[in-house]
Order: sequence, then C-alpha cells, then structure tokens
Amino acid sequence: MTRRSWLLLAAWCALLAIGIAWIQARLHVSADLRLFMPRPRGEQQRLLVQNIGESPASRLLLVTLEGDQPAVLADISKRLATALATRAEFGLVANGAQAPLAIPESLLPYRYLLTDSFDRHSLDAHSVESALADRAADMASPAATFLENWLPRDPTLEVLHLADRWQPPAEPHRVDDAWFTADGHRALLLVETRAAAFDPDGQTTALNVLGAEFERARGASPARLAASGSGYFSSIIKQRTQAEASWFGGIATVGMILLLWYAYRHIGFTLLGALPLASGALAGLAAVSLLFESVHGITLAFGFTLIGVAQDYPMHLFSHLRRGESAVATARRVWPPLATGVASTCVAYLAFLISGVTGLAQLACLTVSGLIVAGLTTRYLLPRLTPAAAHDPADSARLQRINHWLGRLPRPYVLLLLVPVAAALVFWLRPEGFWQNDLSRLTPVPPELLRKDLALRRELATPNLRYLLVASGEDEQEVLTRLEALDDALSQAVQHGAIGSYDHAARYLPSDARQRARQAKLPDAGELRTMLHEAAATSPFDEQLFAPFVADVARARELRPLERADLAATPLSLRIDSALFHREGRWYGLVSLYDVHDPGAMAALGNASSPQVTFLDLKDASEQLVAAHRSHILLCLDISALLLVVVIAVALRRVSRVLRVLAPMVLTTLIILAVLRGCGVSLNLFHLISLVLAAGLGLDYALFFEHAADEPAEQQRTLHALLVCALSTLLVFALLAFSTVPVLAAIGITVSLGVVCNFLLALLLTRERAAA
Amino acid sequence: MLSTSTASSRALDEFERALRRTPPVTTGFVEYRFSHLLKKPLHVSGTLEYRADGVLARKVEAPYREITEVKGEQVRIEREGRPARTLSLQRAPQLRVLLGSFRALLEGRFAPLSQDFAVALAEDDTHWTLTLVPRDARLAKSLARIQVSGRADRPDCIAALEPDGDAAFTLLESAPAQDAVPARSALEQRCHVDAKRAEPGS
Repeated sequence: MTRRSWLLLAAWCALLAIGIAWIQARLHVSADLRLFMPRPRGEQQRLLVQNIGESPASRLLLVTLEGDQPAVLADISKRLATALATRAEFGLVANGAQAPLAIPESLLPYRYLLTDSFDRHSLDAHSVESALADRAADMASPAATFLENWLPRDPTLEVLHLADRWQPPAEPHRVDDAWFTADGHRALLLVETRAAAFDPDGQTTALNVLGAEFERARGASPARLAASGSGYFSSIIKQRTQAEASWFGGIATVGMILLLWYAYRHIGFTLLGALPLASGALAGLAAVSLLFESVHGITLAFGFTLIGVAQDYPMHLFSHLRRGESAVATARRVWPPLATGVASTCVAYLAFLISGVTGLAQLACLTVSGLIVAGLTTRYLLPRLTPAAAHDPADSARLQRINHWLGRLPRPYVLLLLVPVAAALVFWLRPEGFWQNDLSRLTPVPPELLRKDLALRRELATPNLRYLLVASGEDEQEVLTRLEALDDALSQAVQHGAIGSYDHAARYLPSDARQRARQAKLPDAGELRTMLHEAAATSPFDEQLFAPFVADVARARELRPLERADLAATPLSLRIDSALFHREGRWYGLVSLYDVHDPGAMAALGNASSPQVTFLDLKDASEQLVAAHRSHILLCLDISALLLVVVIAVALRRVSRVLRVLAPMVLTTLIILAVLRGCGVSLNLFHLISLVLAAGLGLDYALFFEHAADEPAEQQRTLHALLVCALSTLLVFALLAFSTVPVLAAIGITVSLGVVCNFLLALLLTRERAAA
Repeated sequence: MLSTSTASSRALDEFERALRRTPPVTTGFVEYRFSHLLKKPLHVSGTLEYRADGVLARKVEAPYREITEVKGEQVRIEREGRPARTLSLQRAPQLRVLLGSFRALLEGRFAPLSQDFAVALAEDDTHWTLTLVPRDARLAKSLARIQVSGRADRPDCIAALEPDGDAAFTLLESAPAQDAVPARSALEQRCHVDAKRAEPGS
C-alpha cells in the first residue's frame, strides 16, 4: 500500500470514530412497542392504541409466588407488600390484605354526596325510622359487636353501602387474606411501577428491587417469584435481545473472519471488508437519529440485520480481482450489477418508508441510507486501499471442479411451472389464517408469555378487556355527567343479563351537578333532629346518641363538591385514573364491562346513547386496524415491486435478461410463502420484511450471475464471490433462527430459506452455460 | 370451681369428645344484649342450626322474624319486610372468627378455635366453663372474651363480653323469651361470668 492509501485509511477510520462518538451522544433508543403498530385512524383505533401503552393499567406488574405451603406464601405475600410499599420504585401494591375500597377517614362527611341511597327516597322521616328499626335488629345479631362503633355517626350505614358498591364485582380467591390463584397454589400480587411500561431500564430496576425484597421476605422458604405484565415484557425483551445480540454477534464475527480468511487468504481483505458495512451502519444510524426523535431497539436489531447485505459488496470486489488489473478498474467492472442491486433493494425498502408505521419507516431510513453509503464506499474508497490480489479465484483448481460439476447440472426450467402450481395448491388447501390479525402478535413478546399473562389476569378477575363503552367530552365534568346518564341503561342491561356488571369513574366520583343535587336534598340539622326524635321514640335508641350523624349531614350540606384531587394517593384514585383521562385535549371515560353475554345489546346501547358514547370491541377494532394497515403495506409493496422491475429493466434493457434475473427471486418468494403456509404459520409484518430482504439477496445473486455471461473465468470468480456472500448471509440468519424472540426467529428462518433457494435458482436458472 | 389458666390438651380432648355432635345440630336460644347504645336491653329468641352441609343458620322468631345463613364465606340476612342482604365474610374477618366460634361450639370441635383464641377450660363437679380470649388485636378491641358454660355434655350459655362493658348472653335450649328481661346480674350468675373480670374498666 502506498503512503496515500495509508492516509486515506487513517482518514476513513477517523471519520468512523467521530461518527460513533456523535451517534452515541445523540441516539435515543426507545422500547415503545407502539412504534411497530400501525398509525391509528379514527376515534376507535386511537383509543385502542393509546390504551395499549399509556394507561395506568399497563404499569401494573402481576406477581406470583409459588413453591411452598399456601399459608407460608400468604405470609411472604404480606411481608413483600409491606416492604414494597416503602420503596420509591413502586406506587400502589395490592395483594388482598388491604382494607377494601372505602372512603378515606378525612372525607367521611362526603359520603352523603357520594351515595346513591337517597336518590330515589330522600333522607326523610321514613328512611330515618326504617334505618333505626334495622339497626335495632342488627344490635340483636352477632354483627352488633362490630357495628356499635359506627352506629352513632352512621345509622344508615352509608360507609358500608359505599364499600359494597365499590367492591369489585369479582375478586381473586383468598387464602389467609391474601390473593391466590383458584387452585390455591400461587399467591397473587398487583404492583404498580412508577416507571412507564415501555421504559425497559426503569422496569428492570423495579424488577431487581422486587426480586431483592422478595429474597428478604421469603427468608428460609423455597418459594419462587414470577412477574408478568407489559413492563416485565419490555425489560425481558431488551435483556434477551441484548444477550442474544452479543452471542450471535460474537459467533457470526468469528465465523465471518474464518470464512473470509479461507476465501481470500489475506488478513488485509478481512479487515478492509468490514469498512463499507461499518460506514453504512453508521450512516444509517446518523440518518435515523437526525430524522426521528427516538429509535426503537427492534429497529436497530432489524436494521443491522438488513444492512448485513452490505457485507456482500466488498466480496464482489475482492472475488473479481484479476492479476494485472488495478482494484479501481475491477470496481468499475463490477459496479453495474452492484449498483443495480443497491438501487433496486433501496427501492423495495421505500415501501416501508411510506407504510405509516413509525418503526418500519425508521427501518427503511436506516437501511436505505446504510446500503447507499456501503455501496458508494465499495465503489470509490475501498478499491484505493485494496492490495493486489493474493490469488485469482479463476486459477483455483478445486473451484474449477465445482464449477464444472455445477455447469453440468440439468437446468430445472420445469420449476417455472411447478413452483407456482404447487404454491397455489398449498394456498388453496390451507386458506384460513393466511394473515396474522392479532395486534398483540405484532409485538415481539413471546406468545407463551402472553398466554400466561392472560391467564393471570383472569385469575385477578380484571374486567373483560374486549368490550368497552367510551364516553368523551370537552372536560372532566361533561364526561362524568355522560357516564351518569348511562347508569339507567346499564343497570337494565345487568337485570336483563346482557352483562354481569359494570364499572366507571362516576361511581367513585359523581359529577359536580349530581353532588350538588344530593346536597340540596339533605335535611338541615333542625329537620334531622325532629326526624330522629320521632323515630327514636319507637326504637331502643336514645335520640341524643345520633349527634355525630346530625353533625356529618350538616357538614355535607356545606361542602364544595368532591374533586379528583381530593382522592389523590388513595386507592380510589387508581380506579379513577385508569377510567377517566384526557388525551390531546379531549376527555375520555371508560365503562368496563364484566361477564359480557350479549355484545350486540351493548353495541345497541352505545348507539342509542349520545354520539359521544362509543361501543368499542377491541378485538374487532384491532383486527380491522391490522387488516387495513396490511392492505396499505401490500399496496406499498406492489408499488415498490413495480419500481424494482423498472429499475432492472432500465439497467438491463432486454426483456429476456430481465426475466432471467427476476425468475429466481419470484420463485423463491413463492416457495417461502408455500413452506410457511404448509407449516401453518400466519404471516405477519416481520415475515414481509424478511421476504423483501430475501428478494433483495436473490436479485443480487441473479444480477451477478447474469453479468458474468458465458465467460468461464469470470463465471468462476462470480461463483466464488456469491458462495462467500451466500455462506456468510446464511451463517448470520441461521443463527437468528435460534433466537428466543419470536420475530427474530421468524426472520431468521424466512431469510435462511430465501438464501438457499435464491442461490440455487439463480445458479441454475440465471447463469448461462459456460462457453466451451 | 377448679380453675386452670390454660387448658391442658388432654383435658380439652376428653371434653371435646364428650361434646362432639354430628351435624345437623339444632338448638333453641334466647339472646339478651346489654349495650350502652340502648335505652333498655334487647332480647330475641329463635333457633340455631348447624346443618350437615356446613351451613350455619340463625333464625329469629320473636319479636320479629329474621333468618341469617352463613354458607362458606357468604352471609345472607333475610329480615321480614326487607329485601335480603348478603355480605362476604372476606371483608369482615372479625365477624368470621366470631361465627366460626359458634360453629365450633355447636359441633363440639375445639381444634379450629385455638387458632383464633387462647382457650381455657375450668371444671367442677356440676359445671364447666370454656373461656375464649381472641388472639387478634383488632378483634380484641371489640371483644374481650367469649365465655361458654354448661353442664355435662351440653353447653347452655354463651356470653360475649366486650371491653367497654357491653355484653350479650345467649341461653341455649331454653324456654322462649319472656317479656321481661332478667337483671344482668342474674344472667351473669346463670352463665358463671365473673362480673369483675367482665368489666375491667369499672
């Protein structure tokens, strides 16, 4: 190498180093899974997608304890809950040992504004009299012992009534006052993290604290702890991805070095070969961090996978080097197929740029800029550093034997007919489940974890998550009033058995208007004393006993209506916050429905109510969202396929050449689809990404085989280059196929299959027979 | 009376064997309650049942009709002229303990009792007295002790004594309530309650 090339190399490396430093300072990696979900259209879909990431419910960790006697687990559960309540990482902790939802002591007089007891029959002489008669009978029951303390202050038992009303319709099974699964083997806890669900580092910290507190709480017991929930998922996905990335990265790097050394017998080639890929990756990262606020971790994982194609570019240069020809001249010679490959692959990725999914747009941006930079550096910078060829692949006797043997193989033109027919047959035999419509499957969470999570949520008797009624309005009060207006229809639906029960924020926090109306109906102190005087005459109680009751009612008449802020930091606020919130300037109130037996009736109820009340079938809405989104992406893919053909046609100019180059890619795509369908796999977005990647590889292989024409020496060099390319790509994706993150495994399997098919088909269908 | 501070397990075992019944067990009762909230003591009468299916039922027949059934964790109260009410014992753990003690006494099984109460047995030739002091501090705030007294193989009085001096006396297998409530001292005597201990405050 000359002094000039050393200088160039130094400058290039320095530039890369600066790039790394700049990106490290600037790149913000996010774990918000919604980046990979379609952009919502319309009210319903917006609610749907928002609900997935931001609701307080998403910050709840579901914790189970198992592996010991139930009584011991219950004790550990209580100790753990007490310990967690003191930690800054956690908000509310619930395990069944807490007092039931009740009005806070300091707000007791508010019970007369919150209770519905006196909506129909006001607090009058009759209700006072019948309350005293009931309490007299209670006094002659075993419960008397526990009622005595309350009686003077609350003879109508409003505190109990509210606690009853606020009690969740179903509660988990209990052992020793701690929640358990129905089989009684596992203790259950609900823990609210302060960190957002999609903050994997915050979630990891919280999980570590949880684990440490559990170790302390369990003492000598062999009990085990397990967690579930969105936060846990984001933490575990990050850990798994990181762990696997370093493992796979390590193995792939070692494999690649060995492969390149074997292929080129020169360590300089191995090192130089990494430069275009490194430049492309850095350029891609720089482009994404310039154009987007934050980059999803998955974008990075996929992006580097897709950019991996650029590792092929230097191979094409190195394998085509000839004795007596400068590397710069070789680069000029391989540039037409290389440029066509880069251009057409980039065109294909443009489809993702306009897909409407932020994560995919980032992916496209990263890949396109990365591939262009890698292609250009291979063409213009790398040749100036490349040393003279140690040996020409065209001289290798072993390669020549392989090449001759391959050349004698029959040309399977029959596949052109056979593959489409076989694929059509598979699609026809297995028509159902072609596409994955389940939104949750679009996230990279392993399905078995999702299943466990769902089972736990069922044990915790959380409401039916599929159906919701949503009321919206300009402000909080408007929404509360709207929710109250639904009460009559909802209680009728309960009576008719359409639903088991329902819950909404106005049950805990009535609207100002309703509170004022209740206030206005309360008797004043004088009236109440007269009522008590008359009622007490025929009861075993002395009227003087009820002075605290009279004082509370008098106080309730003076109070300003209860506000949400008054309930902050009480268990009630958790209920209200998750069911009453504002987004982008509009307020929403959710009505949770339990035991929905007749969704149609609830949909009709939603339609019959005001236009600001919507019935939401989350499953339906999400399937529609995914389907609409997919047809959009497919349209984009169609457009890009068309553009790709145009690029190829412009580059190759003859129909027969275009067809020969496109055939392997088209057949391979059909084969992959047929294999996946044959195995019963429903296709998702990540399969589409892999198909595009595989198609891009196939196109490259075909372009180079086609470019070598029928010249034997050049054919041998091309074979060398493509063997190195295909083997290195296969190495990376076959490793990925073993990932425990399902989407990574899906990509690994799909692309590995694609590499093998594309290479063989391009070799057998595209390559011309060598001239004698 | 031969007093023991804690019952030896052997004495309790023998005693338990003597009292053991197989459900269904039905017994009439009259209950008197003395409370500082009341102008005059209350009294009701009816039957207590412990059925073979594990349901504990308390039927009040006079002066009004009321049926309380405890089935597992659910308590159902039906009162004449009122809609039935149900409540869950999960949310009233202290009431659960109290009702549990009734069930244990009717059935004559004391093993479950010692989990929630310190149990002491005192016997002489004609009477025995079983004293249950709650272990749970929250329960102890509203219930000082339960004292069950009887002769031979049957209990005839359950006295629930509260820390504030209130008390309920349940006479079992006894004649229906008369209009007049006996004096508290007479009931205490009948139930072998040591009045001084019952009212530590006074």
